[in-house]
Amino acid sequence: MVRLGELEQQVIGVLWQDDGSELTVREVAAHFPDHAYTTVLTVLDRLERKGMVRRIRDGRAHHYTPTGTREEYAAALMREALSSTPDPDAALVHFAESVSPEEAELLRKILGQPGPTRTPRTKK
Amino acid sequence: MITVAVLASFAVVMFGPAGMWLERSSWPRRAPRAAIVLWQAMGINGALAAIGAGLALAAEPLHRGIVSGVANIVGGAADRRSLPINGLYEACGLTLAAIAVAVLMAGMVNTTVRTILTRRRHRILLDLVAVRSQEAPGALLLRDPRATAYCLPGVRPRIVVSDGTLELLDQSELAAVVDHEWGHVHERHDLVMLPFSSLIEMLQWMPYTTRAPRSVAALLEMAADDYATRHHDRRVLASALVSMADTSLVPACAFAAGSKSIAVRVERLVSTQTNSRLSATLAIGAAGMLLAAPFMVVGLM
Repeated sequence: MVRLGELEQQVIGVLWQDDGSELTVREVAAHFPDHAYTTVLTVLDRLERKGMVRRIRDGRAHHYTPTGTREEYAAALMREALSSTPDPDAALVHFAESVSPEEAELLRKILGQPGPTRTPRTKK
Repeated sequence: MITVAVLASFAVVMFGPAGMWLERSSWPRRAPRAAIVLWQAMGINGALAAIGAGLALAAEPLHRGIVSGVANIVGGAADRRSLPINGLYEACGLTLAAIAVAVLMAGMVNTTVRTILTRRRHRILLDLVAVRSQEAPGALLLRDPRATAYCLPGVRPRIVVSDGTLELLDQSELAAVVDHEWGHVHERHDLVMLPFSSLIEMLQWMPYTTRAPRSVAALLEMAADDYATRHHDRRVLASALVSMADTSLVPACAFAAGSKSIAVRVERLVSTQTNSRLSATLAIGAAGMLLAAPFMVVGLM
């Protein structure tokens, strides 16, 4: 049995894949033949409570649509991560704060390295 | 009155010059963990001394020492036989002590709750949006061209890197960065930071409350660097650090005021000088004395 959390990830994945269109529970459930219709409904319900999907009533059918694209949400998370300066009261702990290119140059000298490697290094 | 004076002077020294001295000192970077313990001990000493001074002031008219004096006041209140507060000293002392305790507690609860909620919201979204990283096992990958690496500490911790980070760092640098983040998580640096974070928001006029959080945050980074370099090359981590900090490679939303600490971390990693056992021992010893001191004063006087 897949944990609900993982199923949530898969269900929102299906909605994101479908590029903003509205899907009925049945259409979503079709992607998950191993899970009961009600399970998928529960998951959509949980996603709605988390604000990730919006339910649209259309006659007797309910349609679900994501409130934002995956990229939008990733960007929002990045924004939160990047804006959490090394303020000690930040909720996220950053790997490195920022220095100016000049300072970085100076630090590279300490390291005995040449200038910035703008092109990605070959991965070992 | 001597007890009040001694305890009050503890508080004044700890929250004043002692913090200024410790921030300016250079030995903490060779003994980051011990220095953090010393910051903690200074805070606890100062807080206990301040509260103790308030209680001592309250017990002063009874001439019975703090412990039995306060017991007497509280006992009187419980019995309702006499008004517990019958003098200016008692009123001032008890009020000051109570305010100090209440302010510290409220600040701590407030910060804790807010931090937990922020992290929870972030984690819920993260789990839906991020994918498992192939390149950095154990880390989540955000599909974003900007580079970032951070950890979401807590009971259900997450380490996060982004596409930009994978582009920027080579395999060994990436592994070192991820391990640095695990250092924060495993050593529960978030719990160490919590009381200091709550200090930032209050009592801004005291040297300790502005310096301690900054210094401890920087020292925790060094501690995580030490954790990572147990299994990774020091220079590799240093080079990752410079690449991740360089704004010509990584666009930053905000310039950090304390960019000096990056330089300190890099110098520390490339330096042949290892951590100093002597500094650590001395710092821990001093911390022990600071913790015992307020109790000794109350016991002896």
